[in-house]
Amino acid sequence: MLDKDLKLAMMRKMLLIRHLEKAWGDAYLNGEIEGIPPALSTGQEAVSVGACMALEDGDFVFTTHRGQAPQVAMGLDPKKILAELYCRRTGYNKGKSYHVTDFSRGVIGMGGIVAGQVPVAGGMALAHKLKGTDRVSLCFFGDGASNEGALHETANLAAIWSLPLILLCENNGYCISLPVSREINTAHISDRAVGYGMAGEWVDGNDPIAVYETVSRAVKTARSGNGPSFIEAITARLSGHLVHDPQRYRPRDEIEAAWEQCPIKGFGNRLKNEGLITAEGIAKMEAEVLGEVEAAVRFAKESPPPEPEEAFEDLWA
Amino acid sequence: MIDRRLFRSEGKLSPAQLEWPSVREAIKEAMQEEMRRDPGVFQMGEDIAWASPFGVTAGLVKEFGPERIRDTPCSEVAVLGAAIGSALGGMRAIMELQFGDFMSVAIDQLTHQAAMLRYLTGGQVRVPIVIRLPCGGWQGAGSQHSQSMYSWFAHAPGIKVVLPATAMDAKGLMKSAIRDDNPVLFFEHKALYRTRWPVTDEYKDKDFLIPFGKSAVRREGKDITVVATLVMVHYALEAASRLEEEKISLEVVDPRTLVPLDKESILGSVRKTGRLLVVDEAYLPCGIQSEIIALVSENNYRDLKAAPRRLGNPGVPVPFEPSLEEVVLPTTEKIVNAARAMMRS
Repeated sequence: MLDKDLKLAMMRKMLLIRHLEKAWGDAYLNGEIEGIPPALSTGQEAVSVGACMALEDGDFVFTTHRGQAPQVAMGLDPKKILAELYCRRTGYNKGKSYHVTDFSRGVIGMGGIVAGQVPVAGGMALAHKLKGTDRVSLCFFGDGASNEGALHETANLAAIWSLPLILLCENNGYCISLPVSREINTAHISDRAVGYGMAGEWVDGNDPIAVYETVSRAVKTARSGNGPSFIEAITARLSGHLVHDPQRYRPRDEIEAAWEQCPIKGFGNRLKNEGLITAEGIAKMEAEVLGEVEAAVRFAKESPPPEPEEAFEDLWA
Repeated sequence: MIDRRLFRSEGKLSPAQLEWPSVREAIKEAMQEEMRRDPGVFQMGEDIAWASPFGVTAGLVKEFGPERIRDTPCSEVAVLGAAIGSALGGMRAIMELQFGDFMSVAIDQLTHQAAMLRYLTGGQVRVPIVIRLPCGGWQGAGSQHSQSMYSWFAHAPGIKVVLPATAMDAKGLMKSAIRDDNPVLFFEHKALYRTRWPVTDEYKDKDFLIPFGKSAVRREGKDITVVATLVMVHYALEAASRLEEEKISLEVVDPRTLVPLDKESILGSVRKTGRLLVVDEAYLPCGIQSEIIALVSENNYRDLKAAPRRLGNPGVPVPFEPSLEEVVLPTTEKIVNAARAMMRS
């Protein structure tokens, strides 16, 4: 049984992800930021929160282009996340990338190339193994990335070398406009684990506790030297692929039904039913989170953009 | 002068021949010394432990064991990713591609991940990896095993490109490559692996490092600067000897690394000779030859007495048939003819 504090922390992180991303999306829609539109994790918060809270210091996560949820879940500073997304030099990557990274906290932002992060995550697991530590590497990727060769090669390599790697597939139902039913011919993406010779299972990705428990088992396996795991977290993308995407390819009633399954609403109700928090308690928590996001937005807006010469910095070590 | 029968046994070598190290031995010694010095250095590649394709890693598994001399499946993407990720985690991976041409299979991991990660993270990470790429023609190995693909990667930001032409360079440059904190492509010409070269005492020094971005003037001359790498260095030297009696004097400059490029030494040499000929096995269109000519044209235009010239693969796959390889790739004869034509113009 998970304790109350952990569950409430999960709730808070899910709210923080939702509101931080909403602020980011709004900044784009209001014309405050330019460039490639935000990729929101709306509806997928439980996956990142459940997975990242199962990790410890020294573990690494590798994120996708839809990467803000794990950043927040790993405890990164919302100010520096939003500053990065506003392309400010005070951001984590000095305004140089959409893919927020904080190496010191074990968060490597990758995702400009679908599945490009997966082999690198495998390499981090190899480093852990070669150095004789019990740390793990957890790689997020989507249902779309599950069809890339990079994933298959890495899964096989991790299995034969028994690497402490957790392959966490976030199946959000769509690869941009392509529904999973048209991109994959198996009942579950996790069924592929058999072919790699590793443990595989699927989990309800809208339930942070189920994700936490499943990932915790995989972490335990990896830490004890018993190799990689493949987890498919089934969830739903509630926003468009990018924030400006009107999702004309998607039936309206399907989107409405998905909102009914919103993980934040569902988890909030559960916590209330369990008597762990009241409706007022959630409202108070949400107000605090909104305050934190507002402060982060202010910090981002007030931060300076990079200086011209910074375009030429940080290429070489 | 160069070895065109790499797939055949070398035969028995005389004690005199064995006195000098081969390029292959030099690379191996460099890796061996660095692995002894730094426990974070390890190697990955197909068949490197027990059936080293060209013998470069032969026997290393006995000293370092299969964890550090790591045989891999045919998974260039995952293995290069493993090199990158392990580098983020504090290791230094050396990855062998059985043929350098296979780099194309994993190009995303190289150009987008290894090469860009430091920049994209605002300098938070380092990616110290060495990728070893057996390259070049002259073995009848076919179009997908005979290319000289460094122009592809010198074109992309964030990748160092190294081309050793002698045993001395192979060792000193490899040791520098392993200690470098950036991704390094180390191109090893197959026709040079078994060739043997005199070395100085420095060669035996455990810290013998040849810095990147320093060219070697292989021969001084006054009429034409010939910029050449790998096998072409030796063809250019042969051409220079032949042209001596015609009183045409070639200066042969081997840049040794394309990224970083020792621009000053090339510009300085052309300032002296007034003529530039660039010779390389690389494909000519958008190739490294053009880059060097552009460098000189932009900076030394007034020094030029003749139009710069370039020799290279004009843009066909390297043929499988050995005599056609000679048709497509630069040869000593072609260098001689080009030099004569430049002196007439």
